[in-house]
Amino acid sequence: MKNIRFFRYLAYSLEILVFFILGSTPSLLPQIFGATPCILVALALTISVFESEIPAMVFGVICGVLTDLGFSNSIGTFTIALTICCFVLGFCSNNIITVNFLNVMITATVVITALLSLHFLFAIVLKGYDYAGSYFVNHYISRIVQTIICTAILYFINKFIYETLRD
Amino acid sequence: MKDFLKSNSVKFFLSTVFIVVLLSVFTSSIESNLLSSTVNSVTYPLSKVTAAATGDEDMTYAELLAEYEALKEENAQLRTQLVDYYDTLTENTRLWKFYDLKKEHPEYTLVPSVVLRKDSNDEFYSFTLDKGTTSDIAVGDPVVSENGLIGWVNEVDLTTCKVVTILSPQTSVGAIDSKSQDTGIITGSALYCDENLTTFTKLSAEHKVKAGDIITSTGISGLYPKGLIIGEVTDICYDTYNTSYYAVVKPYVDIRELKDLAIITDYTGQGEVLIKNGTGTQ
Repeated sequence: MKNIRFFRYLAYSLEILVFFILGSTPSLLPQIFGATPCILVALALTISVFESEIPAMVFGVICGVLTDLGFSNSIGTFTIALTICCFVLGFCSNNIITVNFLNVMITATVVITALLSLHFLFAIVLKGYDYAGSYFVNHYISRIVQTIICTAILYFINKFIYETLRD
Repeated sequence: MKDFLKSNSVKFFLSTVFIVVLLSVFTSSIESNLLSSTVNSVTYPLSKVTAAATGDEDMTYAELLAEYEALKEENAQLRTQLVDYYDTLTENTRLWKFYDLKKEHPEYTLVPSVVLRKDSNDEFYSFTLDKGTTSDIAVGDPVVSENGLIGWVNEVDLTTCKVVTILSPQTSVGAIDSKSQDTGIITGSALYCDENLTTFTKLSAEHKVKAGDIITSTGISGLYPKGLIIGEVTDICYDTYNTSYYAVVKPYVDIRELKDLAIITDYTGQGEVLIKNGTGTQ
């Protein structure tokens, strides 16, 4: 049992590493409306819905740290937010909500929109950049939509991993 | 629910959040940290491979196929040559790009570098280069292409460094119009960064800047060498927020699609004003 769980966590870890590298490779992912998706955010959320709260939180921390390092060499908004979101999501998916595609997409849409809006607030608005609104229109809306689309794809990948390597 | 709130899971969760917040405060106050160095070191080899595997341009399947056939034929002809022929050729090509710059400014110490990672989440096209403190790179070092200034090193660790481009509002470079001698500050803008344009701000009301003028760095702050080409003026605008004129400047390269660059680690006059005054603008 423990071995199967170990291999499932290993699969998630490799998945995170691969998507981190792919997401940061120059000229690999095309920019749509000036943005690429936050794949690791989508990945953390889709892992969380299949795991209990502690593993969900750990993968949330890992994805958050890697996402934050994509912006700067310090950890911040994404790490803290994903730690909390993934823990709550892990708990809710085991005790309150039924894990199915529709529920996951609704939850992910709310979380991703809130998370990226929060990042927009800290990274753009509070730094006092001029024309902050145009960043949101030109970049963040596109990024939110793309990340939600990625969530749909990653949901099925992680569902496959979970069901294949279930305890 | 009450049992859950008293469970070990919640205690572990609260401890983790506390540690994460502490780490967040700690890492935001230092330029280079163990965490980012570790992640960069772990992902460096894989990033190196993926960065090398991606080309400069998007190509169609037919174009790739044609190129593949051509290369296959060429490969057969070159098989008898030395094993490291291509490596040497690639290295030479990269270094030749900076030969003219080095010839023109022998006082520059240039470190050729390759873009390792694009920071895809950054709005201002910052990127990571494959050189770090082991190559004498320091925070603030100017980053150039064969066609002029690209940005500056914002963060550095052992093997990599993060570059903020002149498209970012974080950048602030003292600049001069080489024709009219008007001075101002080069800084990025949300309105123009997506079109590979930056702005030449703080122009006086009597400025004589015109479209087509070439903008270079002044070098008066000691953070950038004097005379580095930044770009060409394409338009003059009036900023209603700051009630001042600014010029839109187009760099001579597409900063969003760069692969080979050089970092200037030393030059005559570097840091002079900083040392004299203690502080200074970039």
